[in-house]
Amino acid sequence: MAATTDAAPALGPGIYRRKTKTQRVLNALNGMVAVPMRDPFALVGLAIYVVFVLVAIFAPQIAPYDPLEILFADGKLASNIPPLTDDHVLGTTNLGRDIYSQLVFGTRSALIIGLSAAFIVAALGTLVGLLAGYFGGLIDTIMMRIADVALGIPFLPFVIVLAAFLDPSVWNIVLAMALLLWPNTARVVRSQVLTVRERAFIDAARVTGSSTSRIIFQHVAPNILPLSFLYGSIAIGWAILTEASISFLGFGDSNVVSWGVMLQDSFLSQALSRGSYHWFLPPGICIILVVVAGFFISRGYEEILFPKLRD
Amino acid sequence: MVRVVNRLLHMLFVLWAVATIMFFMFRLMTGNPLAAYIDTNFTLEQQEALLVQFGLDKPLWQQYFIYIGNLLQGELGQSFFYRKPVGEVLMNAFPNTIVLTMGALVVAYLFGIPVGAYLAWKRGTWIEGVGIPTVLATRAAPEFWLGMILLAVFAFNLGWFPSGGANTAGAEFNSEFARFTSVDFLWHLVLPALSLALYLQGLPLLLMRSNMLEVMQEEFVTMARMKGLSEWAIIMRHAARNALLPVVTTFALSIGLSVGGNVVVETVFSWPGLGRLLVGAVASSDFPLAQGAFLLITLVLVSMNFIADLLYHVLDPRVSHGSNN
Amino acid sequence: MIRKKALLTALALSGSAFAFAALPAATPALAAGDAIRDLTLIARDQGANPQAFQAAQLIAQAWGKLGLNVSVRGLPRLQQSELVWYNRDKWDMTMWQMVGRPERSDPDELVYNLFHSSTAESGYNFIGYKSEEFNKLAEAQRVETDKEKRRELLRQAQAVLDRDQPNMFLVYPKRSFAFDNAVFAEDSVVEQPGLGIKNIWSYLGAQPLGDQKDMILNSTDPLNAINPLYISGATDSWVTELIWDRLLRISPEGLAEPWAAESFEWIDQTTIDVVLREGMMWHDGNPVTVEDVVFSFEVPNVGDEVPMYQPFVKNIESVEATGDRTVRFKLKGPSASFLTSSLAKVNLTPKHVWEAVIDDLANRPENAESHQEDLPIGSGPFKFVRWKQQEEVVLEKNADHFSPPNIDRWIIRIVSNTEATVSMLRSGEINFLSDYNGDPEVLADVADKDGDIAIVSSTDIGFQYATVNHRRPPFDDVAMRRALSLAIDRNLMVAAAWNGSAEIANSPVSTALSYWHSDDTDAISGSLEEAQQILKDAGYEVIDGRLHYPDGIKETLEGP
Repeated sequence: MAATTDAAPALGPGIYRRKTKTQRVLNALNGMVAVPMRDPFALVGLAIYVVFVLVAIFAPQIAPYDPLEILFADGKLASNIPPLTDDHVLGTTNLGRDIYSQLVFGTRSALIIGLSAAFIVAALGTLVGLLAGYFGGLIDTIMMRIADVALGIPFLPFVIVLAAFLDPSVWNIVLAMALLLWPNTARVVRSQVLTVRERAFIDAARVTGSSTSRIIFQHVAPNILPLSFLYGSIAIGWAILTEASISFLGFGDSNVVSWGVMLQDSFLSQALSRGSYHWFLPPGICIILVVVAGFFISRGYEEILFPKLRD
Repeated sequence: MVRVVNRLLHMLFVLWAVATIMFFMFRLMTGNPLAAYIDTNFTLEQQEALLVQFGLDKPLWQQYFIYIGNLLQGELGQSFFYRKPVGEVLMNAFPNTIVLTMGALVVAYLFGIPVGAYLAWKRGTWIEGVGIPTVLATRAAPEFWLGMILLAVFAFNLGWFPSGGANTAGAEFNSEFARFTSVDFLWHLVLPALSLALYLQGLPLLLMRSNMLEVMQEEFVTMARMKGLSEWAIIMRHAARNALLPVVTTFALSIGLSVGGNVVVETVFSWPGLGRLLVGAVASSDFPLAQGAFLLITLVLVSMNFIADLLYHVLDPRVSHGSNN
Repeated sequence: MIRKKALLTALALSGSAFAFAALPAATPALAAGDAIRDLTLIARDQGANPQAFQAAQLIAQAWGKLGLNVSVRGLPRLQQSELVWYNRDKWDMTMWQMVGRPERSDPDELVYNLFHSSTAESGYNFIGYKSEEFNKLAEAQRVETDKEKRRELLRQAQAVLDRDQPNMFLVYPKRSFAFDNAVFAEDSVVEQPGLGIKNIWSYLGAQPLGDQKDMILNSTDPLNAINPLYISGATDSWVTELIWDRLLRISPEGLAEPWAAESFEWIDQTTIDVVLREGMMWHDGNPVTVEDVVFSFEVPNVGDEVPMYQPFVKNIESVEATGDRTVRFKLKGPSASFLTSSLAKVNLTPKHVWEAVIDDLANRPENAESHQEDLPIGSGPFKFVRWKQQEEVVLEKNADHFSPPNIDRWIIRIVSNTEATVSMLRSGEINFLSDYNGDPEVLADVADKDGDIAIVSSTDIGFQYATVNHRRPPFDDVAMRRALSLAIDRNLMVAAAWNGSAEIANSPVSTALSYWHSDDTDAISGSLEEAQQILKDAGYEVIDGRLHYPDGIKETLEGP
């Protein structure tokens, strides 16, 4: 927010120049990292991500226990141990599982669900938007009608209905997101493509005989990648929140360690009546942190992509 | 006018497409759609008779046309679980959901709009630095988690509000209207509506803020400034009015989104609404009811999209953050 | 750049988080059969039955130590029965429960139906247990009217089950119930062994102390139907037994005693005369007549309109009115459980309401179970007022009944949120906790803090168990089943899964039915070593931590 417009990002509108292929791709990728660097919020978001990613990678080293192992002490179930007892930083669950270890391993599920959903939503949305925007005509009409239908399907109810037919699995959520949430991205990408394709360097490419796919993927696509990124970063949060809700409603996969399943477990084990806030609060806080991080980063992009919202 | 008709046709197309998708999902993805209906004591002949009764012995395309025909007449079939017409079961829950949604939205907008304007006014100050992340955090928190915390604090510990349901046990009312306007009902409504509102206020707030920022750069505001009007007067008299309209148009959109989204809040507060009905129907494999509830939620969503869409073109739309769904 | 790379690495690495259960079977180095496939232990989802779910996790871990690769899969009720009940050769292991009902005070239903070969194809013997020896005992006890002799037969039957371990019985749970003793006089609430205080005698007897004359109970599950000809969900049956009378009722002592029948008399082993009480009325004002009684016992045999009650009238040869108030039942053969499982089970159903309905149904594929009266009419001590789905069922006192309740209204609230349920009990939103799946200790703490909540817990007639599919090897092998059963530490089950609020079980006849329960079967208490030894002796081998079949046996089935 404190950043000023004069540090014009390489990707802001109106800066489409003809460059070599490598340059363009490098520039695009560079922009993705460079953009957040200009916005303090985005920087914070990025920092949160980095921490969680590190935790996810080194989860086995960080977590003192197997998150699903039922622990015993002196032949008795080690259940409901209060926090900061021995090496149970956050105590244990009603079934004698180490809460801290679950929290640490939950990072993996969160990132896997979040990133795969974000990737699919962004990739699918971008692809559809590219094709619809570039070719226009019938392809455009058909794809945009499909997008309308997808937007007419209520999201959470759809995931619940899917749960009626499919086995409990986090991939249901990714599937539902892939099916329903791409149109937002596609629509915005499409309108961006509509402006880009009229630009001179595209005409030049066309005149010099570049193939259509070459034009789309090498000339047009790099210019809309930040947009895809924006929508992807919001999708991460959506996926994680949806997983939590679905687990809470009892359609989750209890064999996976996730923050949503942890919340569900604590809720069903009456953590609130027991006063076990050390069980009930941390997964919720982690969810907030990751989702907010996504919002922060997406704001960073938005401020630059839609500078009219700035002064 | 042409535009309205056009959008209306478009809406019908979307409804038809969703209904069709649902039909094929429910018919093709279930092993035995009658599993929940067929009792362990049924003979094979009885089971087959039931298949005939539900029209499941016919070819798929015939079933499809019967289904669409029934839908057009508002005929949603019989709930396996409640053994009543789906429409009747849905209509018991629907008003509760609408009241909850509207209550929450009104609170959310009454809070979000002035606070959004205020944060725009306080641009670049520490208030904004704290305010924006806080607002984003409310949108990032799982709704059921916030709901459970509210429940734990205000019901379990303080005992100010009831722990669930929409009315006190055995409460008698002369009419539904009397029920909705009763103190008893409103007292039960507070916590669930508040949980939802906590989530919902983010959208009007952020939208209002960004609209304000934009309006405040426009000429007439600069003019007002030059005239020496106080900042507050400028905001209230000029900027806010212009920034407000687009925000209000998202209200319709939010109704549609929220009716499908408050499933979890209804579950936390044992609220007798549509979302909880859907969850229960899915858990008990009551496919006709699940399908009916889903279609009703879709109908609300699509028609609210339609209204929002009309309003959008009357008033200038803005894109804003966090409203991607 | 860096960020992107790190994310990709995270993705690649964390893929392994989902691969816990997917280790490939090691190649056998010794002479042994194939490795036993991966197994899934099905359970009700955690929300529905947290204790059993917790038990399933513990059992999976214990069986893992035998070398089996068991993962737990929680399913909603209907999905579980879809798999276990309707696809009888498709599953390997499941958790299951039998709930206590007044009629189950007679052991016949649970002993015969669960294990007799005749019910293996589509009835309660869904595990496919087959034993001629057991069949003979189960049939013999059914017709033995001498109580002592019948007990001996049931003892032998329980011994056979103990030896064969068709199921791994876990516990008879102690169900916790509670009520507000500032609202109801403590001594007016009646405990019935095996059922707790959640029984009709409590509802009739409960004496309100103050202005609150409504009894407000809770149910976790929504109601399914309120229908005298349909045995639907558990909660539904609490309601039906209050709206409709029965000729006999199971007393707090567990015996079938006269209710709507003033008296009954055995004429010979297969003939019984019943005298109907005088002056009974249906809730719509019509008198209850002997024709209604005859209708009630005949209607389950009309076509297939009332399938669920058929088993309870199957043994009736004829039922006829022999006078204004007398009815004679003739049985096809002697039956030890006729009083309990027929006369005390079948609801008295008004002929003037249901005859037309049944006639109409005869021409349609649906049966009486699909008919829901808008205003159910019975003759019982409570009248139906309203049923709001997902919210509540309200019944009111039938002041004209021969045994009217002291309370004005009986209301059951549908609350699926256990935390909220406990809070409601404290705040008075409910005053009778009739359905509690939570931790008994939490409830005890709440009662301590509150001061006027009385908790009553009693051992259930029902039981919780894990079981395996006898149709699928290796579970057709008694040695395997015994090993599985012994590997389960029952004390741990009681302590860890049921928080000490249960008794160890090893028989379908609960200790709550102390007369019929065989103490000889109590000895089961597991040790992992014993279980491993049994498997070793039977030729099973553990190779690289994975259990293999005895030499020469191939794995013919696929894991999940």
